[in-house]
Amino acid sequence: MITFSGVAKAFGTRAVLRDISFNVAAGQVACLIGPSGSGKSTVLRCINGLETHDSGTIEVDGAPVSAVTLPLVRHKVSMVFQRPNLFPHRTVLENVTEGPVHVLKQAPADANDFGMALLDKVGMADRASNFPDQLSGGQQQLVGIARALAMRPIAILFDEPTSALDPERVGEVLRVMRTLAEEGMTMLIVTHEMGFAREVADRALFIDEGVIVEEGGGRQLLTAPAHDRTRLFLDRVLNPL
Amino acid sequence: MSEFVQDVGLFMPVLLRGLAVTIQLTICALLLSIMLGLVWALLARSRFRAVRVFVAMLINVVRGIPIIVQLFFIYFVLPDWGIDLSPFVAGVVGLSVAYSVYQAENFRGGFESVDPQLIEAGLSLGMGKQLLMRRIVMPLGVRTALPSFGNTTIMLLKDSSIASTITIAELTRAGQLLAISTFKNGTVYMLIALLYLAASIPLAMGVRALERRISRR
Repeated sequence: MITFSGVAKAFGTRAVLRDISFNVAAGQVACLIGPSGSGKSTVLRCINGLETHDSGTIEVDGAPVSAVTLPLVRHKVSMVFQRPNLFPHRTVLENVTEGPVHVLKQAPADANDFGMALLDKVGMADRASNFPDQLSGGQQQLVGIARALAMRPIAILFDEPTSALDPERVGEVLRVMRTLAEEGMTMLIVTHEMGFAREVADRALFIDEGVIVEEGGGRQLLTAPAHDRTRLFLDRVLNPL
Repeated sequence: MSEFVQDVGLFMPVLLRGLAVTIQLTICALLLSIMLGLVWALLARSRFRAVRVFVAMLINVVRGIPIIVQLFFIYFVLPDWGIDLSPFVAGVVGLSVAYSVYQAENFRGGFESVDPQLIEAGLSLGMGKQLLMRRIVMPLGVRTALPSFGNTTIMLLKDSSIASTITIAELTRAGQLLAISTFKNGTVYMLIALLYLAASIPLAMGVRALERRISRR
């Protein structure tokens, strides 16, 4: 579904990605873990063209990502950001229907029905007519997930979706993500939630300094890493003291 | 004292008619300058360098020439080239062009204040440049720029007095004529000042209220 082959990317002279290759199959949940600045977010941002990669190829649903295919890629692949980035001048429901109505040109009535169903799914239906600033960070992120789902994507990219939330709000967002995973949504998730990665991820990739150091099954990589660098990273994250 | 009251009763109808012209002039120039300003602000974001350079030059030229000189040019020079405008239309056009560059700056400031992460959110929904502009950058940018637009409106209201120099019988001109014919300079100019204040203070209060509302969000 999403395939990287030898992808490299530099910001100026600083290489952020070097020779990244991996594949996420349809229905798989893959977690990208690694230290800050390791290039995890850049991997996601190259998929939907928020960054352009310098070399190698990225394929989404069998077609290479390029300036020409980018609009289609963005229709097919949704993104959930670290900060929810809801549009502050639109209601919760309008945020969810913005893409379907204005980008995909769906009939507003249909988009509203589907939008309400999605808000119900993430537990935010009663907030449909609120504005984002009337919601907590966790609630905003749930709406962000509904907004991503409204595009009927074939895959969703999550860029540290819980890192900016109050700790007690993290659970409600992770539970919705786990439901999506159980329903078979293809997901590529940058996260520091190691417990979630261990329980939910089919695959885990440990990235450091722009290189995939190790990849494996979620539980296997997080409980029994083969690589010293992976082990060191996990040890620091899981036992910060 | 009774003479003063009598004078006020005599002058007010004339001055109020002048104020009505001032307000018409301000509203017409405001609307036209906002439309022109939006055009400049959008052209300033063009992907063609030549267009961007042209707009930047235009803004500097208009901003660098006193409004009174621009009005004289439109009212006294354009007729030589076959463009003969009535005083009121010349006043509206002159003030609009002069103020369009400030409006353009208001728009630019608003557009640049929009959180780039919201633009990324729009991009990742598959929005193109125009849709982004129409659905996200314009509504959010204009909202943050509302106080600047309010301040520009107050400036425009006061600068509309410059139109008195091209024979438009707005408030200042009406007062000048009264003062010349009655020699009651003190009474007349005090009334003029009070009328300008009466028009601008509600505007200023509106701007303050807008600022408070925006900072709360």
